[in-house]
Parts: sequence; structure tokens; C-alpha cells
Amino acid sequence: MGEDWKTEVSKCSKCGKCHTVCPVFLETGDEAMVSRGRISLAEALRDQQIVYTNKLRDYVYSCKKCMRCRKDCPSGVDYEIIISALLRGVAENMGIPLLPKIIFRYILPRRILFDTMLKVSSKIQRFIPMKKRGQMRHLPLLFMGKRWIPTLAKKTALQKFRNTKKLKNPRMRVGLFTGCLINYIYVDIAEAVVDVLNKMNIEVVVPQGQLCCGTPSSSMGDVKSSRKLAEVNRKVFESQGLDAIVSACATCTKTIKMDYLRTLGPSWKPISDKIYDISEFIYKYCGEEYETKPIEEKVTYHDPCHLLWVRGISDEPRNVLKKSSNFVEMDMAGSCCGGGGIFTIIHYDLTLKMLERKVASIERSGADTVATNCPGCVMQIADGFAGKNSKIKTTHSIQILQRALANGNINREK
Amino acid sequence: MKLFKKTKKEETKGTKALNELIRVLGKEKVLSAIEDRICYSYDSTKQKALPDIVIRPDDTSDISNTLKIANKYEIPVYARGAGTGLSGGAVPLMGGIVFDLKSMNKIIEICPEDFVATVEPGVVTKDLQDEVAKHGLLYPPDPSSAAFSTIGGNVAECAGGITGLKYGVTRDYVLALEIVLPDGSVINTGRKTLRSVTGYDLTRLFIGSEGTLGIFTKITVKLIPDPERIDTLAAFFSDRDDAIDAADLIIDNNILPRTLEFMDQMSINAVRGYGEVTIDEDVKALLLIDIDGTEESIRHELSVVENACKEKKALRTKVAETSKERDALWAVRRIISPALYNVATHKINEDICVPRSKIKEMLQKVDQINEHHTVYIANFGHIGDGNIHVNIMYKDDPGQEELAESIVNKIMEEVIASGGTISGEHGIGNKKSQFLELEISPQVFAIMKRFKNFFDPKGIMNPGKMFVT
Amino acid sequence: MIQARVFEELCDNVGRENVFDNIEERVCYSFDATKEKHLPDLVIRPHTKEHVSTTISIANKYNIPICPRGAGTGLSGGAVPVKGGIVLDLKNMDKIIEINAKDLTVTVEPGVVTKDLQDEVARLRLFYPPEPGSAEFSTIGGNVAECTGGMTGMKYGVTRNYVLALEIVLPDGSIINTGRKTLRSVAGYDLTRFFVGSEGTLGVFTRITLKLLPLPEKIGTITSYFKNIDDALNTTDSILIKSHFLPRSLEFVDKTGIDAVRGFTKEEIPEGVEALLLIDVDGNEKSVVNDISKIEVLCKENKALKTLVAKTDDERKILWDTRRSISPSLFRIASMKFNDDICVPRSKVREVLKRVYELSKTYSIQVAAFGHIGEGHIHLNLIYDEGKAADLSVHKLISQILKEVVSIGGTITSEHGVGDTKSEFIGLELSPHEIEIMKELKKMFDPKGIMNPGKIFV
Repeated sequence: MGEDWKTEVSKCSKCGKCHTVCPVFLETGDEAMVSRGRISLAEALRDQQIVYTNKLRDYVYSCKKCMRCRKDCPSGVDYEIIISALLRGVAENMGIPLLPKIIFRYILPRRILFDTMLKVSSKIQRFIPMKKRGQMRHLPLLFMGKRWIPTLAKKTALQKFRNTKKLKNPRMRVGLFTGCLINYIYVDIAEAVVDVLNKMNIEVVVPQGQLCCGTPSSSMGDVKSSRKLAEVNRKVFESQGLDAIVSACATCTKTIKMDYLRTLGPSWKPISDKIYDISEFIYKYCGEEYETKPIEEKVTYHDPCHLLWVRGISDEPRNVLKKSSNFVEMDMAGSCCGGGGIFTIIHYDLTLKMLERKVASIERSGADTVATNCPGCVMQIADGFAGKNSKIKTTHSIQILQRALANGNINREK
Repeated sequence: MKLFKKTKKEETKGTKALNELIRVLGKEKVLSAIEDRICYSYDSTKQKALPDIVIRPDDTSDISNTLKIANKYEIPVYARGAGTGLSGGAVPLMGGIVFDLKSMNKIIEICPEDFVATVEPGVVTKDLQDEVAKHGLLYPPDPSSAAFSTIGGNVAECAGGITGLKYGVTRDYVLALEIVLPDGSVINTGRKTLRSVTGYDLTRLFIGSEGTLGIFTKITVKLIPDPERIDTLAAFFSDRDDAIDAADLIIDNNILPRTLEFMDQMSINAVRGYGEVTIDEDVKALLLIDIDGTEESIRHELSVVENACKEKKALRTKVAETSKERDALWAVRRIISPALYNVATHKINEDICVPRSKIKEMLQKVDQINEHHTVYIANFGHIGDGNIHVNIMYKDDPGQEELAESIVNKIMEEVIASGGTISGEHGIGNKKSQFLELEISPQVFAIMKRFKNFFDPKGIMNPGKMFVT
Repeated sequence: MIQARVFEELCDNVGRENVFDNIEERVCYSFDATKEKHLPDLVIRPHTKEHVSTTISIANKYNIPICPRGAGTGLSGGAVPVKGGIVLDLKNMDKIIEINAKDLTVTVEPGVVTKDLQDEVARLRLFYPPEPGSAEFSTIGGNVAECTGGMTGMKYGVTRNYVLALEIVLPDGSIINTGRKTLRSVAGYDLTRFFVGSEGTLGVFTRITLKLLPLPEKIGTITSYFKNIDDALNTTDSILIKSHFLPRSLEFVDKTGIDAVRGFTKEEIPEGVEALLLIDVDGNEKSVVNDISKIEVLCKENKALKTLVAKTDDERKILWDTRRSISPSLFRIASMKFNDDICVPRSKVREVLKRVYELSKTYSIQVAAFGHIGEGHIHLNLIYDEGKAADLSVHKLISQILKEVVSIGGTITSEHGVGDTKSEFIGLELSPHEIEIMKELKKMFDPKGIMNPGKIFV
């Protein structure tokens, strides 16, 4: 990453179109909390008009990094270059808070340490009262008394799928990039991926030694840590000789498929081309060939920002859901659920407002279940419903397919 | 003016004013951190000037109180909607106080039976349009920026937009205004009735006054029943003149389309690849036409329009089949202005309006002026009204800016000679103030200045705009 | 009285043949359609803008009031020289200077009769929409000075929406041009629209550029009779709100209005009719036929006693003659009339009418109500016989009505202007501060107060 952001900021025509799509600006109407404003701040930094301050940091952290503005930008500004530079600048000039720094630098790169730390947490959580439908109170926010997150799994996905099933004549062999949320919390999503792909005669391996994709650290501007993680992941996956790599996490997919091209350089391209979101993969390689017995529940779909706005994927997951359930569309399916990273902690009130909108959209759709393709969104939306004691279930779309396949027959010959 | 630096005297003045503002309005409405000031320093002209204070008012009294203080200390004041203007209207050229009116964005009332709506200035135009549409009503003025610009800004600049030929411009829809004058006093002009002629038309005087006379705090607009249906047709031409002829022929056939938009080759090149519309390489000009009305009337008018295009050698025409297709076509038209930055990094944005019979000639003159293609010029706009956005794009290279400016000068002279105006809808701001006297006689200019002095004797309202000071 | 040397100076500059000081001419220019009378000292009939300019600069020099006059058909006293002085009879400046069909603009002198302009542009299949009831005899200059609305306002707006540029002689005799002959212009303050509706108190228009539209292919007309006002008003709601029609005209006449024209027009209005709606729709042939039949159904659904669809242009004319004859026909009921042209939010029309009829009973003064009901506009005509007692109660009744109209958000004048007949009431609608601003602006243009004194402001 170089100085390319300095020229990128000049491209902004200040037209204001990002006002229409920015989920944060929709809530605040604050020019400092929309891409155009942040770009002008970056310009001022470039021109040495300002320096890094707490206020500036808060404005930089107010970005959801959904990248929706980039998709609609008439002047073709690559906002991601600018926001990454700002985040990096914040980290370099103001430092990263100690706890995240320890986690990014020393724990995330060391799987055993990470496991141990979380194992301790999972022991502790047993003593925490007040669980609701599998969700418990978020530790740092315990005293805010509002937030519900799911409990940690006893056995991580990596541990559970150390040895996956070998198929006789698999038509493909793919690797699963689990990502942290699926590895530690939503192991059932990993299970669904393995199960579904196996049923489609696709062999799945879960390469051991894979680490966090690096989003948490890069989103706090800790480029160094992110690069370290990327390099380890490269080694782990390059050596496997896989036909494809899939992930059920929209953010991880975006990071390893797209951001790694910048972090690791063009040599990552051959691998990057083989990385898919799970629904994207199924749509591309299995098409309409599989047979299902759709479940009766009404299911709607929430578009994760990193899948829809970064990668333009919207039909593929819907296609999977239409084949496996009684699918209904919700209004504003592409609007951000508010979940994700440091934003939810620093701008907790905004997170809640965005979540409220999302929950209302889902309720209006009349769905029994909301499916999505990102464990981060699953966690956020489930939190919204847990707080309301709602009957609406939140799940990953692959889990809906898993249930529909359990009901039907698979035509393996094709 | 840098309120907090410069001379000692000014420093005390600025500090005093700031303290007073904080005392009267409360800390959370008064922003003075550099990070905030930067975010309110620009508009869509890409100009920048740093304000000293940003005020985020909640209501009329916040604005009135601020103006009283600003007037007392003679501190410049600027109204800002979404900062999407194209003439510099919201740029705080002389420093001072910027009002971020986005914080006043309530739709106060929609009275479907009365065909009126009253809003605060910070309401986004499209939000109002969407809200009244729920009642089967239409607020017709529709600038390209409608999805993000505000009603307050639209009224201050008297925005026109794409529906002007059939429905008129912003001034035709404003019925009443609540205005805070520079001394902090509040007046109400007009009436919330569809007609009123009581006294002088102060409402119209303030519309298009570009924030130089007062600040709107409530705006009452007229609505009309929403047409049953809109159909959109795109016609592609291999020759610019053919497209202009086709536009003429459509109107000659007594059709008054809801919109009649023109794009030349450079504009098409700038947007090619955006969204889901593909435009073939052989297309050198394009007309984008909306017809609204009832199903029967549209069918008839659409066939007249299609025939007119074919008669004028359109390569092909395409009627949007779905609302998604329609939106995609319009998305392309609406983003031309910012998309031009894909052509070159600098832009001078003109929005001339000439009698429709002079368009062809005018565009030829523009070609001649830029004979050696030293800069890039894109022409697009509301051809039915004769309102053409002439955008001069140039690169960072030395000498380019001067060149672009000399080209603009020549174009402006031609526009005036052909009976046209230097601004159809963007306003004068500071970007066009040097040309105002080309169009307006010294006497009329003096009258305008007297109006300004009458309302704003201390010259605190949006200084540096409209008049060269 | 105008001094002899001033008279000489005027004659020298505009020609003796254009200056009239004989009593016969002066009498003929002493009134307008309000029946008010004030004798001017001189009548000057300019033929050019230079005539207008020199007349005004001489008047300015000697502090002589100037009262511009179009056809003298106004309904608020705008052309009545209440302070004497000079009446400028602009009827002779009646040239249509140019019609630019392709540009959709036309430039005229102020004395052109509105209908003449409409007919002239219609030959080129163009359309000038504003159409006051007096279109056949009032002038464009007068229309612009009062910002008249007219029958087509519902769909097409009012005069101010069509004025693009003005040539104006200011009170010091100087000539300015405002606006541009383009369909759009926002260069500088909107002086054009500021002068529209200024009632001759700021300057005299010598050239007016107007916007035109393509002429609609066809106009369809339907009249519908109702046994009470509520049914008629419900019908307007059905048309506008429930069915989203935007008719070219949507006119209403009440029982008193109907009774005044009954027997006078060729239209046979059944007995027992207490309200009438007259509706025009325009557009292409097919859509007009369609719209009319849909509107006919809506009328019937709302208990219309009878509907009549015009089948020919002559039939159209008959139906419209009824509407246009109301105002003058009211003089057949009584010799005096006071015109109010209020406008209220549409949703308040019912309430206002009810109140007006109550007050009419209380004060024993007959009131006819009719007008552009689609816009919430009503002409209230108070009809009475001459006499001091009547004058007094008419005044009380008007005050009461206007007070209530303003209190529910209405306006005291929607197209006739304030003139001198309503100047005492502007304080109901405008705050002292707002009136002060207007007066100051007046002073800015006309420091000596020679332009149409006694109008708008008391």
C-alpha cells in the first residue's frame, strides 16, 4: 500500500451522491460521517491542514466499510483505498488501543493461544446468567444491558473437521476457509457447508493452520498484523492443490479474494480466482442440477454488504433459497444491518438504529426465518430479535439448503 | 476572515461570538473543531473555503438567534443544504458561520386534499417526492441531484431539473416561505393556498436569491396529482444534429414530454459502463424522453415520439419495459455531471440556456471555440427548455486552466449574443459572478444590489456570491 | 390640476394628439370594473416606450401621479386614478412583436388583448394558458400587473408562471429589461416575478415576453348540476383526489350565481339546481374522450342531477358562456357589487362557504359564490342596492369574511389584486414588518410615490 490514496482523493467531485447510499449518513445526516466528508478530511491530512486527533479517529471509525458508496460513485473514486489509508494513518499516528493490539499482534497469529483464550471464556460464560435463546450478554457491554451475543462453541470448527470425509469419485475438491465467527461460534454453519457439498459429490477439506483473515486488524489500521495473517493463510492454502476455496463468511471472502491481491501482490491472483462465496460456488458449479424438497418456512434474505456492494452477488443466494424454501423478498434487503467490528463498539447507538431498520424490514416481509451469507450479519440480526423476544429465526442460507437437501434426493450423476 | 487568528480585534470578536452562540444554542449545536469545519467547506464545484463555525440548528429560533449574533459582530453567514450546488452557493468564501440545514429535515405536513406540503429546508427533494407519492401526488421539480440535494437548496438556487418543459421549475411550485432575515427577524411570505397575490411577490424575490437575502426555515410547496403512468424512451443517434432535430419535431407535433434530455458524445463516453446500460460505440447523441399521463394518452404520444425519432434518422429507439430498466436509464443521465471527472480532473460547469432554435448554432460555436480540442467539452441537458450543461473538462497540465477559462469567456459571449442566459438553473454563486454583468445592464445590476443592501446592510449573508465584491 | 407648462411639456414630448384633457376622455378613463370613479387630470395615449418613458419622467419631475391602464377591466381598482394625475392608456401599444414558435416564446406590447394573443398563437398550434374570465377584453399588461389566474390555473398555473422577461419603465423614466427570452434563467434576483403582480405601483411594462406551450389537440367540456353544494364538492374530491385527474378547468357556481344567469344564457339549467360544476379536460383526442366519460361517471356517482357533455365547439361555447356571464349578470339582481376573490386550502372550502352563507343571512346581503374551486379559489360577490346603510353592512360583512378566511389560512386576494378596494385588509394577512418591507421596496423604486398611488397600501 502506497501513496495512491493521495491521488484518489482528488477524484472526488463532491457531488454528494454517497449521501443516498451511506447507511451511517442515513442515521446521522452528519457530513463528517459520509464518504464525501471523510474524503475531504483525507484531503486536509494530505495537505497538512490537520493532524490525527480523537475526533478525526471517531469520524474515521464511523465508516461501516460496506463499500456501497464505491459501487455508486459516478466519479469512480475507490473509496476503499482512502478509508484504508485513513485507518492505517490512525493506527500509525495514534496507536492501536492496547487490548486489540495484543490480540492482533500476538493472539490472532497463534491459533493455540487464541483457542486457549476463548476456551477460558467459554468456561466463564457458563457462569453468566441470563441467556436468551442461545445468546448471552456481550462481555464489554454487559453493563449496558442491551447486547446479546451467542455462546462460544465447545469444539471449534477446525477441531471438528480436522479430518473430513474422503469421497470416492469427487467431481471437485474444495477447501473451506472458516473465518473466526464460524470457527468459534457458528460451527453449525461449517457443518452445513461440508454436508451440502458432500451431498453434491464435492470433497471438502478444512486446512488446519488457517488463521483469521485479517479484517479485524486491518479495520483498525493494523496493516502489519493483517499482512502477517495473510502470509500464513497463503502458505496454508497454496500447498493444498485445491480446485476451489469457499467461505460462508462474506467479509472473509472479500478479504481473501480481493484485499489479499493488494496485500500479497499479483502472485495471489491464481488462488484469488478460485475463491468463492458458498452460494456463489453452488450456483456456479451445481447450478440447477440438484433436487431439493423445499422447507415450508417463509424465508427472506438479507444481503451482506461485502457480498452485495463489494462483489455484486445477489441472485446466487436467492436462487439457492428459492430452491430450498418458501422464499419472500424483503424491502431494503441490501441495507446494512449495522453489525461488524469496531464500529459496533464506538458507535453503538448507530448500530442499534441500523439494526432496528433491518429488523423492521424483516418483520414486514412476513418471513419466519431470515437467511444471510455472513456469520457477522447472523450474529447482529439474531441480537436484534433476541432483544425483542421475537419468534423470527436467523440463519445462514447454506443451512436452509442443508435442510432442504435432507428432505430430497441428490442427482449425483451429473 | 479567519475568526480566531489574524488580528487581535477579530480574535476577540470571534471568541465572543462563539461563546455567545454556545451559551444561546447549547454546545452540541455549535461545532468549531477543525474536522467538522473541513466537512462543511466545499460544495460540488470542488471549491474549498474553511468556515470558522458550523451551526446545526434545530428550528427557526436557533437560526434567528445565530443571525442576531452574527449580525451584531458582522460575521458572514452561509446557508448549506446538502452542499451539492454547482455554482459555489454553499461555499463559505469569507469564512464565518455555516448553517448545516440538513439537521432541519422534517416534512412538517402533507395536505393531500389541499395539494400542498410544508417542509423544513433540509428535506431531501426525493424524500419529499416519495412521501407525497404515497398520497398519489407529485412534486414535479426534479434536479438531477434530487436524491441527495435539499428543497432548501433547490429553492435558494431555483433549480429546474428534468421535468421543466412540461411542469416548470422550482419557483412555479413554491407557495409560501418562512424566512429569517439577516437581522434575525422572521417573516412569512406568500400563503399556503394555491393562489395568492396579496402585496408584492416577496416569495419569488427570495427564490433563487442564493442565500444572499435570508434563510428559509419553512417552505410550502404546491403539489399536483401524480400521473397514472410514466413511460421512458431512449433514442440513439449517430449525429448530434439529428437528435436536436428529433427533439424539435417532437414538440412540433404538439407533444409536451415530461422530460426531454439530450446527451452528446462526450457525455455518453463519460457514463459508458456505469450501471447496467450499454450504449453502442456508433452512438454520438442520445435523447432520453419520459412521457406521462394515462395509459391511452401515453400509447398515442409514445408512437408520435418514436416516429419523430425515426424520421430524424435515429439509429434505434428503446422503450423501457420495466421500472428497473427505466431507473437504469435515468441513473446514467443523472450521474453525467460527476462522471465527467472520469474524463479529466478539472471541470468548469456552465448551464447556459438559449432559445431552442439557437441550440444547434450554439453547439457549433462551442465546437469552433474548442476547434483544436485543447480541452474536453461535454454538452447535455434539458434540450426542450434550451438549457444545456456545457462542461469544460481539462487536465492538470500547466496552462490548461487559463485555456479553459478563455474558452468559457468566449462561450459566454456567444450565449449572450444569441439571446441566452448564463445560468438556467445552477445560479450565479461565485463561479459565474464575473459574467453576470454580461447579461444584466448596469442599472439592473444596481437595483439588485439595492435589494441586497436593503435586506442585508452589513453584507453578512453569503458574501462573495452573485455580485463580484 | 396640471399646470399649463407641464401640459405643454407633455405635448411637446408625446405629441399633442396623444394628450387628452377634455372632460369626455377623462370621464371615460376614470373607472374600471369595480365601478369606482375618480377623474384623472389628463389621459395620455403612448405609442412607444419612449412616450411612456418621457411621460413618466415629466410626471416624476412635477410629482404628478401616474396610473397605468390596460382595458380597465380590473376588479380591485388598479386602473382607477384615485389621486388624479395622468392615466396612461396603454391600449394603443397593442402589437404582437414576435412569436418564436420554435422557442415557445412570444413578445408583446402591454395593450394586446389576451384572447387576441391566444388566437394568434393558436394558429401556430401554440397555447398561452392563463385565461381570466375577462380574457376577451382584458390586456396582457393588466393580466401581468395583477398576476391574474383564470380558468386554467388548476392544470397550467397562473400568469407569473408564464412571464419570462419584461421591459419596464421605472418611476424615474428609465427603462430596464428583466429576465431573459429563454425558458429558464436564474441570473440574479428575480426582478421579473417581483414586478408581476405589483399592480402598477413600481413601473410600467412596455414589453412582455411570455412562455408558450404546444396547443393541446382537443378540449372536452362537461357540465354537471347538483341539488346541493356538498354533492358538487364531493365530486371535485372524487376527480382530483380519488381519481387523480388534473382537469384544465374545474369551475363551480352556486345557486345565486346560477339564478343570475338563468334565462340569460342558452344553457337550460333545470330547476332545483343549487350547484354547478363546469369541467374542461384537454389532451389528445382519445384521452379526452376517455377522461370525460370517466368524469361523467364520477359526477353521477356523487348524485349529479344531470350531466351535459359538449359535443361540438358551439356547445362548449354555450356552457362556458354561462360561467363567463355570471359576474356581469349579477348586476341584474342589484345595482352594486363587491368582489372578493379569496382562496383557501381546498379542504376548507366547505367550511368557508357555510360560514359565508350564514353571515350573508345575518347581514341580509346576498352573496354569490363561484370560481376555480379545484384550487380552493372562490369569487365571493356581495350584491346590494346603493345606499349608505347597505354600504356600511357590506363593509362589515366583508371584514368579517376576510378575517375568517385569513384565520383558516386563506388569502384575501388570489387573482384580482389588492388595489384600493382591499388595501385596508392587507394587515389581516401580512404582518406589520412584512408591510413595512414592501413599503420600503416601493420607496426604493418610487421615492416620490407617483406610481399608482393609493393602491395596495393604505
